[in-house]
Amino acid sequence: MVPAAVPADGVEPKASRGDTDRHIFPTAESPVTIASAPPSAARSLRRRILERGRDQAVPDRAVLVLHDVTKQYPNGKIALRDVDLVIPEGDFVFLVGPSGAGKSTLIKLLIRDEVTTRGEVVLDGQDLARLPRRQVPRMRRKIGIIFQDFKLLPTKTVWENVAFALEVTGHPRRQIRPAVDRVLAIVGLTAQAKQIPAQLSGGEQQRTAIARALVHDPRLIIADEPTGNLDPLISWEILQLLLRINELGVTVLMATHNAEVVTALRKRVVALEEGRIIRDEVGGAYHRED
Amino acid sequence: MLAFLYFSLRRAWQGFWRNAVMSLAATATMVLMLLLLAGFWIIQTGLLAGLQFTEQKVQVVAYLQPNATETQINELAAEIQQRSDVESVDVVTRDKALERFRESMKAQGRTDLTEQLDSNPLYASVEVKLKDAAALRAVTESLAPEQHPIVRNVINIQDLVERLLTVTNILRTVGTGILIGVGLIALFIIVNAIRLAVVARSEEIEIMRLVGASDAFIRWPFVFEGAFVGFLGAVITLAILAGAAEPLNGFMVDFFRVLPLQIGSMTRDLVTLVMGAGVGLGVLGSWVSVRTYLIR
Repeated sequence: MVPAAVPADGVEPKASRGDTDRHIFPTAESPVTIASAPPSAARSLRRRILERGRDQAVPDRAVLVLHDVTKQYPNGKIALRDVDLVIPEGDFVFLVGPSGAGKSTLIKLLIRDEVTTRGEVVLDGQDLARLPRRQVPRMRRKIGIIFQDFKLLPTKTVWENVAFALEVTGHPRRQIRPAVDRVLAIVGLTAQAKQIPAQLSGGEQQRTAIARALVHDPRLIIADEPTGNLDPLISWEILQLLLRINELGVTVLMATHNAEVVTALRKRVVALEEGRIIRDEVGGAYHRED
Repeated sequence: MLAFLYFSLRRAWQGFWRNAVMSLAATATMVLMLLLLAGFWIIQTGLLAGLQFTEQKVQVVAYLQPNATETQINELAAEIQQRSDVESVDVVTRDKALERFRESMKAQGRTDLTEQLDSNPLYASVEVKLKDAAALRAVTESLAPEQHPIVRNVINIQDLVERLLTVTNILRTVGTGILIGVGLIALFIIVNAIRLAVVARSEEIEIMRLVGASDAFIRWPFVFEGAFVGFLGAVITLAILAGAAEPLNGFMVDFFRVLPLQIGSMTRDLVTLVMGAGVGLGVLGSWVSVRTYLIR
C-alpha cells in the first residue's frame, strides 16, 4: 500500500550495519536506514521489504526524525528540550507522559503548527523549519491527524466529512467517490455514510475522523488522545482499528494517557517528562518497570 | 482552475446560507453603512452642484456712458469676447434694459412708474459671463473705466465671489475628508461584521488547515462570500435609494432652490459608488478576516 521510499537524491546511506543506537541521528544527506532504527521496527521493515521482492529492497528512510529539538514559546516557557527521536516507516509508537510534558507541543511541531526554536524536525525527508510556507499544506497531506474531540463538521454527513478532506485539497469529484468509499469500508462505516455526527456514537465519530485522516493515504497517522473521550470497550475498538491501519503499512504515533492499552500492547513507548524524553523502549509499558 | 472556481463559488454560496443569521447581519450592517456613505455623498454632491451653479451665475457687469456709440460698444464686446476666461458677452442696450426693468416690476406685481418718465434713465451695459468665477478680478480690471473711456463703472462683487469660492473650496475639502472618514468607519464596522461570520466557522477553517488545504482553498470561498454580502448589500441599498429618490429630489430642489441637478449622471456615479464600495468592502473584510487564520 505504501510505496518504498527511495532517497530523493539517490545517495547511498552511510549508516553502518548493526548500529542500533538511537542517538546516532541521520541527516538529510544520510537518511536513517533499517540498521539504525530500533530492532522491532527494523524487523517489520525487513519483513515488508522482503514481501515486496528483491528488486525493491532499497533502504527505507525514517518517516520522522527529530534531532536535538528544543521549543521555547514566546512567553519563555520551554516545552521541549533536546528531544531526539527517530520513527522508522511502519512503526507504531505510543507517546506517553503527564499533562504539560510536551506531547501537544511535539505534535504541533510535527504538523508545523509551531516551528522549533532549535534543532530540526524532518518528516519524510523534509526539514519542516526550512519548508516554505506555500508547501506546508502539501506536507500536511502526508499526515493524518486524529483528535480526542474528533473535530467533525456537525452539518455534514459521515461521507461528506471524509470527502471534505479531498474537496478542499482540490481533488476532482471522480477521484473523491471511490477514495471515500474505500476508507469508509476500512473503518467499517459504510452503512452509516449518510448519517450526521450527532446521530453517531462516540466510537463511530472517532472512526469517521480516522477515515478522514486516512483518505489522503498518509505516511504517518498522528493520534492525539484518540480514546480520551471514549469508554474502555470502544477505546479498544479504536485501538484495534489503528493497529490494523498500522498493519496496512501506515506509521502510527499515538499520544495517550491510557495506561492499560499501552501496557497491554507492548509496542514502542516514548515517555516525555518536563519536555525531555525520559524513556524510549520497544515493548514497553505505560509506567517504568524497573 | 475552473474546478477551483466552481468549488469556491459553491462553498461561498453554501457558507452564506448555512450561517444565514450571521450573513444577514453582515448584509444589514453593509446596507446601513452604504446608506450612510451614499447619503453623505448625495449631500456633498448636491451642495457642490448648487455652489457651482451659483458660480456660473457670476458675471461682470460694466455700465456704459450714455454717449457711447453702438460701434464703440460692439468693439468693446468683441475685445472682451477674445479673452480665454470669458464664456460669453451680452450687450444690453438702454432699450433692452428698460424692457427688462419693466418685466421684472410686472413679475413682482408692482406698479410700473417708468411710463411717467419722458426719457430712458437706464444705462446700456455689457454683461460678461465667465468660464470660471476665479477670473472675476482679471475681467473686472480689464473693463475698468481707465482702460475703456466708454465704461462708466463696473459693479464690484469681488468680495462676495471670493467668499463664495472659499466656501466651495472648504466644502470640497472638508466634504471629501468627511466622506473618507465615513468610508473608513464603514470599513471597520463591515470588517468586524464579516469577521464575526468567519469566526463562527473557525472550526471549519482549522479542519481545512489540518487536512492540508492550501491557503487559496481556504481564502477564496470566504472572499467570494464577502463579495456576495457586499453585492447583496449594494443592491438593497440602491433599491432603498431608488424608492427614496423622488422625495429626496423634492427635498433637494426645495432646499437648494431650483437647481439643475443632473439626476442621470448622478445616478450613474451613485450606482458605481455603492456597488464598488459594497463589493470592495466585502472582499476586503473577508480577506482581512481570513488572514488571521492563515498567518500561523
